[in-house]
Amino acid sequence: MTISSILYLIILFPVTAAATGYFLPQRRYHQLLAAVNVSVTVLAAFLFHTVRSGQPLEHLMAGWPEGLAIRLVADSLSAPLVMLGAVFCTGTLLFSTRADYLDKTFLFLFMALESTLLGIFLSGDLFNIYVLIELSMLIIAILIMYKQDKQSVYDAMLYLMMNFIAMAFMLLGIGFIYRITGVLDLNMMHERIAMLESPQAVMLPFAMIMTAIALKAAMFPLFSWLPRAHGAPSAPAIVSAVLSGVQVKTGVYLLIRVSAVFAPQIDATAFFLVLGFITSIVGFLLAICQKDIKLILAYHTVSQMGLIVMGLHLGTETAFYGGLYHIINHALFKGLLFLTAGTIIESYHRRSYAEIRGVMRTMPAIGLGTLAGMLGITGAPFFNGSISKYFISDGLQGNWGGMALFLINLGTTLSFVKYAVILFGKPAGKVDRPRDPWVASVAIVFGLACLFGGLLGGPAVQWLFGPTLKTAGALSTQKILGFAITLGIAVLAYRLVVSRIGTLLIRVRTNKFTFNQLTVMMTLFFLALLAFLWLR
Amino acid sequence: MALINTLGISDLAIALFFIGLFGAMTQRSIMKTIMSVGIMDMGAILYFAMANRPDGARPPIAGTPPELMADPVPQALMITAIVIGVSVVAMCLAMYMRVAYRYRTAEWSILTRRVEK
Repeated sequence: MTISSILYLIILFPVTAAATGYFLPQRRYHQLLAAVNVSVTVLAAFLFHTVRSGQPLEHLMAGWPEGLAIRLVADSLSAPLVMLGAVFCTGTLLFSTRADYLDKTFLFLFMALESTLLGIFLSGDLFNIYVLIELSMLIIAILIMYKQDKQSVYDAMLYLMMNFIAMAFMLLGIGFIYRITGVLDLNMMHERIAMLESPQAVMLPFAMIMTAIALKAAMFPLFSWLPRAHGAPSAPAIVSAVLSGVQVKTGVYLLIRVSAVFAPQIDATAFFLVLGFITSIVGFLLAICQKDIKLILAYHTVSQMGLIVMGLHLGTETAFYGGLYHIINHALFKGLLFLTAGTIIESYHRRSYAEIRGVMRTMPAIGLGTLAGMLGITGAPFFNGSISKYFISDGLQGNWGGMALFLINLGTTLSFVKYAVILFGKPAGKVDRPRDPWVASVAIVFGLACLFGGLLGGPAVQWLFGPTLKTAGALSTQKILGFAITLGIAVLAYRLVVSRIGTLLIRVRTNKFTFNQLTVMMTLFFLALLAFLWLR
Repeated sequence: MALINTLGISDLAIALFFIGLFGAMTQRSIMKTIMSVGIMDMGAILYFAMANRPDGARPPIAGTPPELMADPVPQALMITAIVIGVSVVAMCLAMYMRVAYRYRTAEWSILTRRVEK
């Protein structure tokens, strides 16, 4: 029993506990799983502490020699994400303590999903990552159509088939890279790729694996699965929250990891920088077109993923850590927004932002939570979004870069000005007010986390990732003024432009691509990436 | 003919992958796209299973002398991949059945139109 067996424990504990406790009655089962989640969080915090104190944990499974064995690894990149995943799953499970959609099958699938997500973060072996992604894909497909109403089966089928094609790309890519390097272990692969004479041999596998990862990270034009999965009408609130909070982050995490493995030969920074920018713009444009509050949030996740990828590929260290910090922040505020949106939909029995009014009055705790999430996501001063966006803006030089970030910020604010109308006014029709202390307290805790992530932005980044970055500039009068101006322009633009082009919005909203078109987009993405690698 | 003789199984596996991809891009019938996706997956698996396999190597099954064996790692991994592929295809088919009963169509374009209303 060594310290590295904690890695096994974190991955396997949720799913084995869920499987062995399955005979318990539902109430006890939920309590057991909550206890399991709390202990996994404690383990993850311990793991994080060990890694941050300068000791990356590694374990070669089953005692095989290096190169053959599956490596489990926790380093300074994966440990914070593991902790995020564990904390997040605990929070969402507590949030849904009294929810009526919870049954034992659902809880079991939820825990299995948690295990696979933590496994992806901790795995250092490409094929193992592939298997875990496939597993999480199957579980998510079931969770999307869990309530089986409306078009959920169609959504889940489209999600599953698109992801399956992407995973076939990844498998072929892994096959190529295995033939070239003879290993699946990421560290050894990195060493052997560095020894290659020319990058041409690894271009094809890189393009294939990256196509799959870009789909997982919801990059343009491969994001159309994400609103279906995250905003699915039949998916319970906590599924949407976990998908948007943690699962989509596995894509970004793998983007960092696999890029690092191929870094000696291939540098696709410019490609992903532009891609992140386009994704961000398209994401908020589509978010503005939506009516369903969950779909607004889902398209918004696309936009924020673009921002994160941009930050990671800007090239400066501050911007990179800004991107990483934005991963954590986005999990907090988007998770919070999805949880509260789910509660709002259940109470009002409506999904359209135009029909929901007065959340602040009917459910003050939920309303405050939504407000905190919105302030976080728009980058309001004192909230966590402002800190990470400030770091990202550090990497942007010149007028064009500043303009790009301003445009993204404006779009974000604009779509949330639209979202904010649900908070005020007078509720029409009957509202079932939830009398659930868990819902309110988790919403408040996540909201406070958004606030403190902003107030203590510098120390938080140092605690999570290590580097000491200056955050003083994030609270300068210039930045606060900038936020106020953005908000003003957004309100004006909403009043003057967005509310008058209703027919255009409906046309964009109802225009959906068929499966064949989506596959063509995926192939085009692959060819574009390959062409980029060849031509540079 | 000469070209065909020089092709190995790996090349055919890649061809199979792209045939499957072409099918997924062009077929309008849902059933045929599911089959195409399955073919893609099989192409990838076949390619992977042929990795590091010299000519005349035998499958790594007990009883084969070790020096004649093909690299056992890809073969062991591909058993996992086959199982995953089968289960995903099975799940796609089950979902397709639900969708087909509910919306009374077997074509993507009609299905998309009926669902998004």
